[in-house]
Amino acid sequence: MNRINLQILLGTIMVLATSVVVLFYGLNEEKRMAEAEEAQRGRAIEQGAALFEAQCSRCHGTQGTGIPGLCPPLNDRYFFDQRMKDVGWSGTLEDYIVATVSSGRLASTRPQLYPGQGTPAMPAFSDHFGGPLREDQIRTIAAFITNWSETAIAIEVPPTPSGPVVGTDITKELPEGDPAAGEALATTLGCVACHIAAPTGPVWLAKDGEPGVGSHAATRITQPDYTGKATTPEQYLFESIVNPNIFVVSGFASGVMPQSYANSLTDQDMANLIAYLLTLK
Amino acid sequence: MLKSLNLQDMRQKAYQALDQRARAITAGLGLNELRALMRGEPPTEKPNPRYKVHTTSFLFHIRPRYYEAGSTILTHTFRLGFFTSFFFFVELFTGLILMIYYTPSPEKAYESILNLLNNVPFGQMLRDIHRLGAEAMVIFTTLHMLRTFLTGSYKKERSFTWLTGVVLLGITMFLSFSGYLLPWDQLAYWAVTVGTSMAEAAPLFGNEINLLLRGAPDIAANGLLRFYLLHVVLLPLAAILVISIHYYKVSREHGISLPAYMEEGNVPPEVKKAARQRIDFIPDLLTTEVFLVSLGILLLVLGVTVFNYHAPLESVANPQVTPLDTKAPWYFWWLQGMLKLGDKILMGVILPTIVVLVLVGLPYIDRNPHRSLYKRPIAVALGVLSVLILVMLSYMGLPQYGIEMEPAQRIIQDMSPQEGAGPLQRLPFEELQLGSYQVNVNEPINMCPNLDFGCPAFEAFFRLYSDRVNQAIRKGDLPAETQAVVVIEDWQKDLRKITLRIVWPGEDGKSKSYERIVYLHANRGME
Ligand code: HEC
Ligand code: HEC
Ligand code: HEM
Repeated sequence: MNRINLQILLGTIMVLATSVVVLFYGLNEEKRMAEAEEAQRGRAIEQGAALFEAQCSRCHGTQGTGIPGLCPPLNDRYFFDQRMKDVGWSGTLEDYIVATVSSGRLASTRPQLYPGQGTPAMPAFSDHFGGPLREDQIRTIAAFITNWSETAIAIEVPPTPSGPVVGTDITKELPEGDPAAGEALATTLGCVACHIAAPTGPVWLAKDGEPGVGSHAATRITQPDYTGKATTPEQYLFESIVNPNIFVVSGFASGVMPQSYANSLTDQDMANLIAYLLTLK
Repeated sequence: MLKSLNLQDMRQKAYQALDQRARAITAGLGLNELRALMRGEPPTEKPNPRYKVHTTSFLFHIRPRYYEAGSTILTHTFRLGFFTSFFFFVELFTGLILMIYYTPSPEKAYESILNLLNNVPFGQMLRDIHRLGAEAMVIFTTLHMLRTFLTGSYKKERSFTWLTGVVLLGITMFLSFSGYLLPWDQLAYWAVTVGTSMAEAAPLFGNEINLLLRGAPDIAANGLLRFYLLHVVLLPLAAILVISIHYYKVSREHGISLPAYMEEGNVPPEVKKAARQRIDFIPDLLTTEVFLVSLGILLLVLGVTVFNYHAPLESVANPQVTPLDTKAPWYFWWLQGMLKLGDKILMGVILPTIVVLVLVGLPYIDRNPHRSLYKRPIAVALGVLSVLILVMLSYMGLPQYGIEMEPAQRIIQDMSPQEGAGPLQRLPFEELQLGSYQVNVNEPINMCPNLDFGCPAFEAFFRLYSDRVNQAIRKGDLPAETQAVVVIEDWQKDLRKITLRIVWPGEDGKSKSYERIVYLHANRGME
């Protein structure tokens, strides 16, 4: 066999080998493409999670639980099953999220329940409208939020308080409080998002020599710059919750803490919260 | 009438008709001749029709009629120039198809790559081959240059071939570099930002060059469009033109050089004669080339399938976030290494210019008439030295070299880099057992009693992490009280939040910490 024949033979074998490899690769293409799409969605969700934490959790809670009296939950059954119908949105939920987040909300559609920051209730996030996020980043957040869909069925957030509300009179006689119930309430109400998880508001737990909120309640009212009307630690806590702007702790902005608790908590809720806060010396 | 319809006559006529078609298509080769070709037999007609093709066919007129036997010895050329051209054509072919799916705008570019990967059959293979071919082309061009240097083929009449070669080296690097930006991911964006910022170092016009390339002070829509047009129009056209000139010189004017030992000094006449024997292009060289092409294609396809080469794709470009450890493409690491050694102008402009000038002027600087390795020890020694220096500089160009990072940050970045995959990202999702762990305290044994097969990868990750921390403690980079913590939380369906944190007491008594939060999704796939 001369060289030319050999090369033709080997060349043919190699072309056949290439074809076989490409053929087998091709048979797997459908599956590969489906997996690539899944993987891309997975990565979008990862990025969305980080962006949500950085941009949205201060209002909507770290896990999208919402903050009663401030911002709606985004992880509950109502949002996934009913909200589209109630607002008359004809597109997909994902588009609804992208549209809302891109342009924000000038005024809340549920001002009693979720007033947000006031005006705008929620700022615009798209960089086309002066916000910090690019279109593709907003899409990843939407992917993250819609990933709650399967667990959302189990989550039901009661929108309205049960029983008469506590009001703003801080001298009111309150029933006996239960610290354990207060702690649970602080979690479901989302206080912990601002006061424990992230220092959006004054930190409740004692740290680095700084005492907890239970001690502050007693010392704040004796400060010379104190502008409220409370005379006891209990009253101070009551006042801080129902009328947070009357005295603003130095270093924090006025108007950040929701101002609707007077209209959403019951007497018992308030007593439980105060009892709990007083344990945090 | 009937008499003339005899069978032999018809066969003859049919043969003649076919023969004529064949001659028209092959620019002169009849059926008989083709048959002889396939069997490796000598030409059937006179004058040799196989030479005629070279004058009548456009595609063949640039190819040589023959090479001298001595110049086709494998170890003389290693077919490096051939394979460089092969990769160039692979790039043209795959690149043209990729263009169908690609949109050169910052909003769409990354998306179009994602679409290519999850929506186009063979899209990933195409992209992988294009990337692999590009890297191979850079490597092969460099090796080809090295071989022509070592065989002394740049001397005398071939000095112009060498010059066009140097131009081709530049074009090849810039082709590769301009393509780097197009996927518009973090890797691309920052590699090109780093790369173009080196142009900034040039005095007087550095800023202008940078502006011209980027289209704005920072790379954005304009810069992407410019790089795209460079990559798909200007540079390929320039490459085709210069490759044609380069190859014309080789094929039509000088031939490939003979190995020096067949040409220089006292060569026995029979060796000389054997070396000068003609090897015809048709059929010998042509067959070899087709053979090599099928070999090349097979290797490329194996590379992106069996050997798992995949073009990288990081997260979408973000001009606001410079990831740690950004680096230029590897064929520019030597330049980055040089920039670390000293002054930006000296190292980034003056020395590289000198290098280019030396390359261009090599045939005139090196006046030694000999081509044999043994008769030009200085040139060879300098060549080998340059290669060593290049490798060293490239090593120094790595971001890990010479750039100090806080030890805690370095460890966490190595465990879980901001971009791309590290040991953490490579863990199987099932093994990410929820909990809060102190890494450098307990020996990671039997950590997941609840999993059927335990979590060997997870434990290996802990071991690696704690080894790194303990090493840093032993070296004194971190105090002995340092704690390394891993917290794994269930965040959402199929999504876990992982916090890597290193806490240590600072000199002023306050505790310091560095942490990184990573979200991992079950379906993220691994690179
Ligand atoms: C300043 C507080 C604030 C921030 C920060 C904020 N939001 Fe909102 N968001 C609101 C309020 C208030 C509403 C409710 C408005 C309403 O009911 O009309 C809302 C509504 C929404 C809705 C529509 C809910 C519905 O049922 O109509 C979505 C989706 C949403 N936010 C997503 C986000 C995302 C994603 C982010 C982060 C990029 C974010 N929000 C950041 C305050 C905020
Ligand atoms: C959106 C974030 C946010 C939420 C939610 C929030 N707070 Fe606040 N809170 C703040 C800020 C900011 C301050 C400090 C400014 C001020 O005093 O008004 C504050 C102050 C306080 C204070 C006074 C603290 C001190 O150190 O004197 C108390 C008590 C308090 N909040 C209780 C609560 C309770 C109880 C809840 C849940 C029912 C809650 N907060 C929910 C942001 C928040
Ligand atoms: C796109 C890049 C290039 C292509 C496609 C290319 C192609 C070729 C080909 C096909 C040959 C025939 C001999 C062989 O296969 O080795 C050749 C020869 C040659 N090339 Fe290149 N080349 C390129 C870059 C370079 C570079 C960077 C240099 C040096 C700076 C160079 C210098 C030479 C010289 C001197 C010869 C003649 C060799 C001889 O006669 O032995 N080429 N080139």
